Amino acid sequence: MTWKSPVALVREALQGQRAREKDLRSLMSNLPYEGLEKGKQPNRYFPSNAIKTTKYSLLLFIPMNLYEQFHRLANIYFVGLAILNFIPVVNAFQPEVALIPICIILSLTALKDAWEDFRRYQSDKKLNNTPCFIYSRKEKQFVERRWKDVRVGDFVKVVCNETIPADLLLLYTSDPNGVCLIETANLDGETNLKQRTAVSGVCNSFEPESFNGIVVCEKPNNNLNHFKCYEKPDNQKVGAGIESLLLRGCTVRNTDHAVGFVVYAHETKSMLNNSGPRYKRSKLERRLNIDVFFCFILLFAMCLIGALHFIWLYALPGVPPYLVPPANGHLDSPNLSSFYMFFTMIILLQILIPISLYVSIELVKIGQIFLITNDIDLYDEETDSRIQCKALNITEDLGQIEYIFSDKTGTLTENKMVFRRCSIMGTEYPHKENIRLAVLNEPESEEEVIYNQDLQPLPTGWSLESEEANSEDTHRHGSRRKSKVLGTTQSDVAFSSPLETEVIPDRKLLQQISRTGSSSRCQKIDPYLEFFLALTICNTVVVSMATTQRRRPLTSDNLRYEAESPDEAALVYATKAYGFTLLARTPDSVTVRLPSGEVLVFEVLDTLTFDSNRKRMSVLVRHPITKEYVLYTKGADYAIMELLGTPYAQRHLDCYAKEGLRTLCIAKKVVSEAVYKHWLVERQRALTAIDNREVLIMDTAVQLETNLTLLATGIEDRLQENVPDTIMALRQAGIKVWVLTGDKPETAVNIGYACRLLEDEDLVLVIDGRTLTMALSPDLRGDFVDLAKHCRSVLCCRVTPLQKSRVVKVIREKLKVMTLAVDGANDVNMIQAADIGIGISGQEGMQAVMASDFAISRFKHLKKLLLVHGHWCYTRLANMIIYFFYKNVQAYVNLLFWYQFFCGFSGSTMIDYWLLIFFNLFFTSLPPIMFGIMDRDISAEMLLGVPELYKTGQGEGDYRFTTFWVSILDAFYQSLVCFFIPYFVYQDSDIDMFTFGTPLNTTALFTILLHLSIEIKSWTVVHWVVMLGSVLFYFIVTLAYSATCVTCNPPSNPYWVLQNQMADPMFYLICILSTVVALLPYTFHVLRNSIALSPLIEAKHLDRLDPSMREEWMKEWRSYRGGGQVQRSTLS
Amino acid sequence: HILSHYNHKHKYISLEFNVKNQLKFTNRPDNTAFTQQRLPAWQPILSAGIVIPGFVLIGLAFIGVGVALFVTSRSIQVLERDYTGDESGTPCASCANSNVQNSFGFCFPQSQGPVFFYYGLSNYFQNYRRYGTSKDDNQLYGVLKYFTSPSDNCAPYAYNSNNQPIVPCGSIANSMFNDTFKLYQTVNGTRQEVSLDGKGIAWWTDYNIKYRNPTNNPLKDAFNGTVKPIYWSKPAYELDTSDPSNNGFVNQDFLVWMRRAALPDFRKLYRRISQDKYPDGLPAGNYSLEITYNYRVYRFSGKKKVVFSNVSWMGGKNEFLGIAYLVVGSMCVFMSIVMLIVYAKFKFPDEE
Repeated sequence: MTWKSPVALVREALQGQRAREKDLRSLMSNLPYEGLEKGKQPNRYFPSNAIKTTKYSLLLFIPMNLYEQFHRLANIYFVGLAILNFIPVVNAFQPEVALIPICIILSLTALKDAWEDFRRYQSDKKLNNTPCFIYSRKEKQFVERRWKDVRVGDFVKVVCNETIPADLLLLYTSDPNGVCLIETANLDGETNLKQRTAVSGVCNSFEPESFNGIVVCEKPNNNLNHFKCYEKPDNQKVGAGIESLLLRGCTVRNTDHAVGFVVYAHETKSMLNNSGPRYKRSKLERRLNIDVFFCFILLFAMCLIGALHFIWLYALPGVPPYLVPPANGHLDSPNLSSFYMFFTMIILLQILIPISLYVSIELVKIGQIFLITNDIDLYDEETDSRIQCKALNITEDLGQIEYIFSDKTGTLTENKMVFRRCSIMGTEYPHKENIRLAVLNEPESEEEVIYNQDLQPLPTGWSLESEEANSEDTHRHGSRRKSKVLGTTQSDVAFSSPLETEVIPDRKLLQQISRTGSSSRCQKIDPYLEFFLALTICNTVVVSMATTQRRRPLTSDNLRYEAESPDEAALVYATKAYGFTLLARTPDSVTVRLPSGEVLVFEVLDTLTFDSNRKRMSVLVRHPITKEYVLYTKGADYAIMELLGTPYAQRHLDCYAKEGLRTLCIAKKVVSEAVYKHWLVERQRALTAIDNREVLIMDTAVQLETNLTLLATGIEDRLQENVPDTIMALRQAGIKVWVLTGDKPETAVNIGYACRLLEDEDLVLVIDGRTLTMALSPDLRGDFVDLAKHCRSVLCCRVTPLQKSRVVKVIREKLKVMTLAVDGANDVNMIQAADIGIGISGQEGMQAVMASDFAISRFKHLKKLLLVHGHWCYTRLANMIIYFFYKNVQAYVNLLFWYQFFCGFSGSTMIDYWLLIFFNLFFTSLPPIMFGIMDRDISAEMLLGVPELYKTGQGEGDYRFTTFWVSILDAFYQSLVCFFIPYFVYQDSDIDMFTFGTPLNTTALFTILLHLSIEIKSWTVVHWVVMLGSVLFYFIVTLAYSATCVTCNPPSNPYWVLQNQMADPMFYLICILSTVVALLPYTFHVLRNSIALSPLIEAKHLDRLDPSMREEWMKEWRSYRGGGQVQRSTLS
Repeated sequence: HILSHYNHKHKYISLEFNVKNQLKFTNRPDNTAFTQQRLPAWQPILSAGIVIPGFVLIGLAFIGVGVALFVTSRSIQVLERDYTGDESGTPCASCANSNVQNSFGFCFPQSQGPVFFYYGLSNYFQNYRRYGTSKDDNQLYGVLKYFTSPSDNCAPYAYNSNNQPIVPCGSIANSMFNDTFKLYQTVNGTRQEVSLDGKGIAWWTDYNIKYRNPTNNPLKDAFNGTVKPIYWSKPAYELDTSDPSNNGFVNQDFLVWMRRAALPDFRKLYRRISQDKYPDGLPAGNYSLEITYNYRVYRFSGKKKVVFSNVSWMGGKNEFLGIAYLVVGSMCVFMSIVMLIVYAKFKFPDEE
């Protein structure tokens, strides 16, 4: 190690900082510098690949953890009080004793943190030591190293089924076409294979040592779908995007090996995406904080009263013998001593600020989440996934939802599609056999395809003739198909739907194809042939051979199609059923086998990939026979319609849309060579651009996608299981369900009816994207919200993701309601705009799931999640919090406070300090936590059967402003009873302090526990154990403590006090009387509820009936509580 | 819905038998009563059917207890005499002015059972926080180390002005009540001293466990180098000259004083009327009490009194508890009647 001047070191550090912060990074190969010291390495400023997710180091754990914990205000408050207690003039307890609670809280948290950190350390260690291959110049080959040794600028070789150690720019693969397939399941949960291509220009016969270019790439970011860089091998730019980046954490599949250049190590996209659990503050917690603030005021008032004791001191004629001067022998002035007394009182009454409440809430939420994730009804067998709770502290918000905003595709619907119907040249091919198939098997899908060539006039009477023919067909095929279906059901029904791969061709269409196939092939472009070719070519489906790990079903000739969106796969499987088999796809070519057996290889000139702005994708190919440049475009119907050269009557599409079909259109354009050449130059420029690359690329795509001729298709995505039922239940629960979809209004309305979102008597608002933009403008916003408020459901069609999130935001802010957004794909904005975001892990796009607070696998799970778990979590937590306030005020604070009036406001306690602390920490802490996790006011069956019960939690819910004050008043009353009954009994007697305090403490314990017992709605074994255990624990600990401790805790000395009291019948008489009197009003309060017959109480009564009786009652109840009639009108 | 739920269940039950399939459900939650929140539960509802009989029962029981308490309390006789002596017309009107010996007479009715003799103080905050901590438990436990260096808690009553340690240190011991009483019965004009029993007036555990004298013999040796509390007239080892075992920290009067009163108006047991001589309690008659008036209470506007009382199983006389039980008991009965009327109007669905 050579010595460096500090200046050089600082300069070095600054340079490193600058290099890392720059928007563009220039990276060079490390190989020429191999073996040189670190200062000479070109990429030395970029961090190495070793990851360290641990927060603490072994040596610094205690200071760092304490630092971390003191970020919480509550802990600071606690420590401040403990410190205050060390000041002799103000202390209320012995200094050490006051430290106990904070020490226990801090050490428990530290233990938890240490355990978590240790687990992180272990997983880091395992990951860092995973082997990988790095090229070494010395040994002229790839040598085995560890992941942590990977540096930016290295060449790394990854082999099949191996995980990628860092973000690699793909330079070479074993595949002759420079393709490498990766599975990104670790990153986003998507299990389909994605294709990555090597950067062009270096793909053949790659030698790491001969790589002398510079890679210029953007600053690391966390977007998994975007990457920009260009490479300069010899003063010539080669652009590359995400399609050439191998992401850390992905697995290489179906490719023997690949070599990549390390662009990001440590700052990889997967690492930057790893942001840990989300933190949201629930509505209840916000409410709680207000009440804690009131507690502060209360505390201040009580302490002020304590401080006023100087009046009492002034009133004395002389210095009484019990007034002990401080050590110097001189009494403080009354003013000063009352000032001290204020702080003493704060220490004494500190528990009024319920610090333990926050700890308890955290524990309760952990318990609630445990129970939610363990619910077997929220488990999906098909994907083997449970519900995931990503946000740990908003469980109770689930019980207060008033608005649900839902996407359609993948949320309400399966997002699984199979070719079933099509219409070509105005003739419908309804594929009715597939309906039967779909009915027999659960995951159903439909697809409708219209095909029309602009040369042909549209026949109008398309339906009559063909339908008759088709119905005949159906009868003929019915029996045959059934038997086949049965065969497949038995084999693998649970894991993969046969529908995904199995399409039964429509007979008539098949005949048509074979006719044209034999007669008019190669002469004139046949519309049928062209249609299927377009379907086969225009997609990004990856053809792969089977590898052992994957369980997707294979087609007969061992081909498997991996598509990023399910409709693409569906279309390719459909064409395959008609004999147009996609055999292979490389970046440069598509190989298609025609029904005649002939194999055509189309040269792919470019692929204009799908994006959500254009809502379409295109493939530019060169026809092998005609040598024409042909552009095939596929996209949403309206995205294609506006590009058509000739206007097209929408009527047919509308017909399908009314049946609830999602229409996809396919269009075609023949491009002249000159146009193509011109366009290519523009395209090339766009590809190598770093700034605005996406925009430029999109622009070039838009340039080409003009004047198309239509080939149209329509796809319907079937509703998920139990969606209508779920939506019905949610609406009965008083939740307004809004569907925000990108589909056209007709489709949306149809789906709305299908899922019973719309019913005939409803007032429904259907609004499309363009109208919505106006409605959301600032001056109309209020009116729109008012209108929407009166509608039972709202359908927004053709809305963009941005609009979706704006709708959610507007409703949330204007109406001040709890909102929940559900999405099955990529609408991260909407999910994050709502109070609760729920992701449905579906077929495509897991981004919603990653951004969500809860991830479920089916829409129907929402019903139980909200109606049962939401209700439970909310009532449990709300009741627990109220109880906690009551408990702290009643037992601990007020009893002490009343006593101050009889001890000259001197801060004395009539109970031993240790027992006081134990009282809160051990004797009464567990029951409320158990109550918060396990109480069950109404059974799950009842909550699901009568969704109206959910309404009790909406809006203000159980936890109202008055609830807090009522419970505080109740606590005041109870504490008065607990204090003054013993007081009047022992008044003017020879009772001593601790003997007086013992019945107080015992009564307080009984009152607190019995109060909770009245609150507890259902008693399980756990409840009994915890409640009785707490009482037993109190007596055992107190007895043991007062029997053993003679001089251990001077000057407080409760020796043999409880024993003495327990031998006195008066003790029991006092305890019984105080407890009963304290709880009497509360009992009346409960009774009043039962006279008023709230729905909850009624439901509770029904719950006690046996199941069959209960069914009857539920039916009757629902009939007499049924909603009123609402007029229906549709606006659009 | 029920049907589909059933089918759903049925489907995975049938799959459960398939071992191969089962392996694939690695994430499936355990189907236990606890995790599925299906633990058998008792769901009590406070309904009229439970509450009204409950109230009647509680009410009757309370009335019973109340009557017992009230009757017992009534049978207890109490005689109180204030002897602060700061007002004319009170029994010991000149006590506070004249110095040492005072006496006043009173009439005592026939009593049943043993009679306890208390002194009482009012407006005296023995529960004052700083006062309460002003003692040294270890010293009082007889640990000699703390004789020479008393705890800081005792300050400023730990050392005297000559820096000699005070034993017993602290404010509580220093402020010990030091009036003494002699009781005389006047029979036919002659005064007969009533013998008082000072044994066992403190807690057994205080006398035997909490407070201990050092093992030195004679006890005086242990106190070498220490001084008596400032207000005391006699050192601790000479508190009771008549009974050597009643000295030091285990002196009964000292123990009674050290057990701090919970409330500012309190009484403390002074003596019992000797049961050997008066097995049936104090006979009715005229008595006179001779008081050695030492303890000054005017500084805190306090009052002093003597109390003669006999005791029962419920301790001293206390009418509050009995009355409270009676009131609460009758309230419960009354409420149950009101509730019955209310429920007759609003009937429950499941009680129809």
